[in-house]
Amino acid sequence: MKIVIAGAGEVGIHLAKLLSNENQDIIIIDRDEDKLAKLEPYNMLTYIGNPVSFATLRNAGVANSDLFIAVTPYETDNVLACEIAKTLGAEKTVARIDNYDFMIKENRSFFTERGICDLIYPEYLAGEELEVALKRAWVRHWFELCNGELVIVGVKIRENARIVGMPLRELFKMSNYAHISAIKRNHETIIPRGDDYIRVNDIVYIATTNGDMQDIRDLCGKTDIDIKKIMIMGGSRIAVQLAMRVGEDYDITILENDYKRCEELAEQLPDCSIIHGDGRNFEVLEEEGIVDTDAFIALTESSEANILACLAAKEYGVKKTIAEVENIQFISEAEKLNIGTIINKKLLASSRIFQILLDNDSTTAKCLALADAEVAELVAKKGSKITKAKIKDLNLSRDLTIAGMLRNGKGQLVQGDTQIQEGDHVVVFCLSGAIHKVEKLFN
Amino acid sequence: MFQKKSNINTLMVVRIIGWLLMIEAIFMIVPLGVSLYYREFDCVKSFFFSILITLFLGMLTSHFIRPMRMEMYRKEGFLLTSLVWVVFSIFGMLPFLFSGTVSNVTDAFYETMAGFTTTGSTIFVDVESLPKGILLWRSLMQWIGGMGIILFTLAVIPMLNKSGGVQLFNAEVTGITHDKLRPRVSGTAIGLWGVYVGMSIIMVVCLMIGPMDWFDSLCHTLSCVSTGGFSTKNDSIGFWDSRYIDSVVIVFMFLGGVNFSLIYNVLHGKFKPLRENEVLKWYVLLCFIGSLVCFADLYFRGENKNISDCFFDSLFHIVATITTTGFSVESYSWGQFSLMMLIILMISCACAGSTSGGLKIDRMVVMLKNVKNEFKKALHPNQVISVRLNGKVVPYAHVQRVVAFLVIFTLILVISTTILSLFNISVFDSFFLSLSALCNVGYGPGMIEGGVFVDLPMAVKWILMFDMLIGRLELFTVLILFTKGFWVK
Repeated sequence: MKIVIAGAGEVGIHLAKLLSNENQDIIIIDRDEDKLAKLEPYNMLTYIGNPVSFATLRNAGVANSDLFIAVTPYETDNVLACEIAKTLGAEKTVARIDNYDFMIKENRSFFTERGICDLIYPEYLAGEELEVALKRAWVRHWFELCNGELVIVGVKIRENARIVGMPLRELFKMSNYAHISAIKRNHETIIPRGDDYIRVNDIVYIATTNGDMQDIRDLCGKTDIDIKKIMIMGGSRIAVQLAMRVGEDYDITILENDYKRCEELAEQLPDCSIIHGDGRNFEVLEEEGIVDTDAFIALTESSEANILACLAAKEYGVKKTIAEVENIQFISEAEKLNIGTIINKKLLASSRIFQILLDNDSTTAKCLALADAEVAELVAKKGSKITKAKIKDLNLSRDLTIAGMLRNGKGQLVQGDTQIQEGDHVVVFCLSGAIHKVEKLFN
Repeated sequence: MFQKKSNINTLMVVRIIGWLLMIEAIFMIVPLGVSLYYREFDCVKSFFFSILITLFLGMLTSHFIRPMRMEMYRKEGFLLTSLVWVVFSIFGMLPFLFSGTVSNVTDAFYETMAGFTTTGSTIFVDVESLPKGILLWRSLMQWIGGMGIILFTLAVIPMLNKSGGVQLFNAEVTGITHDKLRPRVSGTAIGLWGVYVGMSIIMVVCLMIGPMDWFDSLCHTLSCVSTGGFSTKNDSIGFWDSRYIDSVVIVFMFLGGVNFSLIYNVLHGKFKPLRENEVLKWYVLLCFIGSLVCFADLYFRGENKNISDCFFDSLFHIVATITTTGFSVESYSWGQFSLMMLIILMISCACAGSTSGGLKIDRMVVMLKNVKNEFKKALHPNQVISVRLNGKVVPYAHVQRVVAFLVIFTLILVISTTILSLFNISVFDSFFLSLSALCNVGYGPGMIEGGVFVDLPMAVKWILMFDMLIGRLELFTVLILFTKGFWVK
């Protein structure tokens, strides 16, 4: 597939590298030569020029591209670039925006008429993600698959969990509603076998059907945290998004350094208490009642400050901490440091684009990418290898596992003696790089 | 996340070399077929065994060596590219040894290396006595080496279509920067090879229309578009004594010296890069000036006063020199002035991204413009000026790399000349041989004193082979393997 990306910012570069590894034809356009020079060793074509120009887009070959993604820093540029690209003949266009007004349903027809097929709003996606994280405070990751019939949760295991030290084979006998799909131990992700066991401080990815969530929680030794009071450090756009989404359900305090910004926030969010002060200052935190806070969310521009502030909040006894970490390299470190949930706008935006790709082309079935593992949702085709025998007789490679499936609209887990049938939606967990093996199984 | 990237993935490099050997074996089938056609059964046998050995070893390494990691980074790129050229030469010399046409390893290796690097200096005194299969293999090696072994592999092996492939591409393709034609490196490789194959087919047809038979046409095409210079006749192109053949060869030698991505763009209807290309203008200008000087020298000094002869001879030799092909039509004693002209052209050579060798005009232009800027800066120290090439500003980092390239080039030339003079070869000959090998031209001592390559001492041949290899891969790719930093974890 030929994909043109306008804007070599953080999201643009991340997407370009990701999609290039997926064997897509990538052309990336930016005004800044230096940004593009860094992409020289990657398998893609770079083009220097203004993305909002007919000449540039024409020369970059937008005319016969399948997807045009505009992720320059300015939303107006993005919208305009998409319009031009569509006029020149791009199959599908996606624009990044940062304006909630554009996302409202009634206004969408305006964009569709102008040939902009999809809008990505990373801050909005982050708001969505935060809402889920607050609602299910005991999990670290929550993915719904197969129309919500199957759920994969990522849980950090502590000493009090019943499943610690038990071989998975026995665990499975005891609780057939849980399928341990992957374990993240230190910096490594492993696909466990029957004789592996779970250790303390592992992050365990468990696939389950939606109804059995209660039991999973007990199994992992977690209790549901009832969150009432939230403290947000940094009055960023994500903070505003979150406050607008869940302001009625929670009691929100926002700490912001910049007085001008505080005034703006107070105007926008009358229900929240806006505090002018530095979230890194412990006195301010104590004054605003960090001790009674149930959830602490750090959303400043600095990943380091966010991580450290969350650690400090932990010390004060805050049960749920969430940090925005924009440096992808830091995510793994931050997870090790017991920060409840990490959000990253780049990963959110790129998994959204992956989904758009998925809608476009049914052969690529990737849906979400973890740090070094991937979860794919595929449909078993007629005569494919996966349907030939029972799972345990298939001799599957050690770097992938089949978590669950959706048959006749009902989600169920997969066990050794399950046989996959034609037309089943199957959820596969695999380590990065093994995705081609998965594709072979299903075609 | 925290992988040790500095470790060199040697197993992966070895495995890919295995695949490449299988490709080489496939190429050897062509001369095998030709030998069968001409009923040269000794030659058939030697090719058969060569194919068997190459294929067997290739399959063995690619099948049994299973690397833990598949990733390839910059270091693997350099290592693989340099190794492939050596390994290809080792297996490429087998037919020479098995058929008994060459009796010792040094000579066989020399001939193969001169083939793959498109140098075209031969150790055979009488090429006409060689079997047809061997003749074709010599030309075919040049053809493969001209566009690049790695580039061919990138076009056909999909497994290299990763960012590791880009490193390989950068390590092999010539020039200051490397133009990508298509988003994926395999697409670029296919595009360049497409142009190359297309040019070759047209040239074969053009030659066959003239007085050449199909076999000679094929051989000369293969060694001409690759700017190699192996011939099937002792008198090279001069054997046919035909103005038509000369003209066709001149045209295709010239095209072989043009940046292939430029030809690709023109074929795809994009003329803008062509108009903006300053290097091409310099290339044409150099050819013109060179021919003029050579013509004047021949006409006023030589015995032959026929204007048309002088014109064709001078044009032919100038183009053959600047593109580093090294064909000849007429052997006569060169005047000192013409010889100097040839040396200048040998150093400058043709455009980057072509099949020719040497410093490349691109670098010369950047260098000279930089010198001009330095003079300006001496008068106006605060002036900000940049070097422009083909209408675009060349970043200062690239200018620095060009300067470094020139320095290394000069150093190697001096060292090589010094070593050669140890063997009591005259200083000028030592210099000329080194330069000719380093720039992949292939002019030999015959140019000057009527000597032949085969008479050179063995050690000299090895030095020249090394010169050819580093010259073809533009110095850095090979020389970096000799730095300590490359191997340190």
